Amino acid sequence: MKGSIIAFEGIDGSGKSSQAKLLKDWLDSRVDAYLTEWNSSDWIHEVIKEAKKKNLLTPLTFSLIHATDFADRYERLILPMYRTGFVVVSDRYYYTAYARDSVRGVSLEWVKKLYSYAPKPDVTFFIRVTPEVALSRLKESKRGIKPQEAGADVFPDLDPEEGFLKYQGMILEIYDKLAEEEGFVVLEGNRSPREIQMDIRRKVGELLWKERS
Amino acid sequence: MEGKIIALEGSEGSGRTYHVSSLKAYLEEQGYGVVTFGLGMSRLMGEPISKKKRDIVFQRRTLFLAYVTDLADQIENEVKPMVKAGFLAIADGYTSTLKAWGLTRGLEEDWMNYVLSALPVANLSLGLVSTPREIMRRILRKKGVLDPLSSGIDICINGELFSSYETYLNTFQDNLRKVMQDGVIVDTSRSFEVVKAEIANLVGERIEKA
Repeated sequence: MKGSIIAFEGIDGSGKSSQAKLLKDWLDSRVDAYLTEWNSSDWIHEVIKEAKKKNLLTPLTFSLIHATDFADRYERLILPMYRTGFVVVSDRYYYTAYARDSVRGVSLEWVKKLYSYAPKPDVTFFIRVTPEVALSRLKESKRGIKPQEAGADVFPDLDPEEGFLKYQGMILEIYDKLAEEEGFVVLEGNRSPREIQMDIRRKVGELLWKERS
Repeated sequence: MEGKIIALEGSEGSGRTYHVSSLKAYLEEQGYGVVTFGLGMSRLMGEPISKKKRDIVFQRRTLFLAYVTDLADQIENEVKPMVKAGFLAIADGYTSTLKAWGLTRGLEEDWMNYVLSALPVANLSLGLVSTPREIMRRILRKKGVLDPLSSGIDICINGELFSSYETYLNTFQDNLRKVMQDGVIVDTSRSFEVVKAEIANLVGERIEKA
């Protein structure tokens, strides 16, 4: 039995992580489900954190080290789960690398090839909000903008808010292009989390249960 | 790049490290400035790889990408600037060593070539080979033992965890059936309740007979 991969994409502050968690909780009582997050391999994650702190990464090594992180999670967790029939909910998938690496000047074609061994998700939810909306949400939550959310390595001279708007704007542009090419399910993110989750569950229900019956 | 990269490629024990240092000494005598780099030697990935290698030896793609990251870090932060300044760079293991390692473990050649196309091609590459007996003798001389992981014992299994486990389980269960020819085999792939009832039944029958 082959499993499914359900991916969530969107700019920082779009609410996709909360939506992915809600979906995983909902799936838990129905199927074997597993949630995996971007940049969370237990050993590479630490290396990336240190490297970002010390500003060691170039666009190429930024790309490669995140690909290593993904490969580690893929070989150890995602692939065995997928092959044994789990529903794998992926908070960010290789589309995040497509967007973040190409914003840093790495060739999109090369990045696509880098991840070409991994299967395309059965469905990719793109929670779409503008950088302005995402920024106002971050401000409300009072947790401050992290340097990587402001693309501090790409725009070292901008203040965090300006950097956030510019960097996330560029990421959004790529997502919009990918949405069409890759057939994302685009969800208007400027609604209540509950409304968005209902859309997601309906779609996932169709995918998992209607196809099989 | 204006200067040159010279790559010495080969397995552990092929004489790579030894010849890198003697070549470096020779070129320095000739008046060249020389930097050395190589597989597993980056500031970014060197230590994490050596610490983690044993745990991820069966994750070929991860290890391959970790080494590409390792090389890219050295190329971008050390080799490129030095070579631009006129130095010669000698690699103790570069892209061909990595590719041979991947091919031996079933990684796709096209994929590896594409990923490695992000790194500069060496201006001169030397592949170092020797007889297996000689290579192993060198390793024994240096380290005292043959490391099972370096011996490529990992390539006896399948490409990834799932297939390997599947093969293992099939073999194990075939053998279990064989050794239990006179016993009873219960298929637990059915629902728990059905299996539970069947086991209760089987045990009940046999207890009474006994």
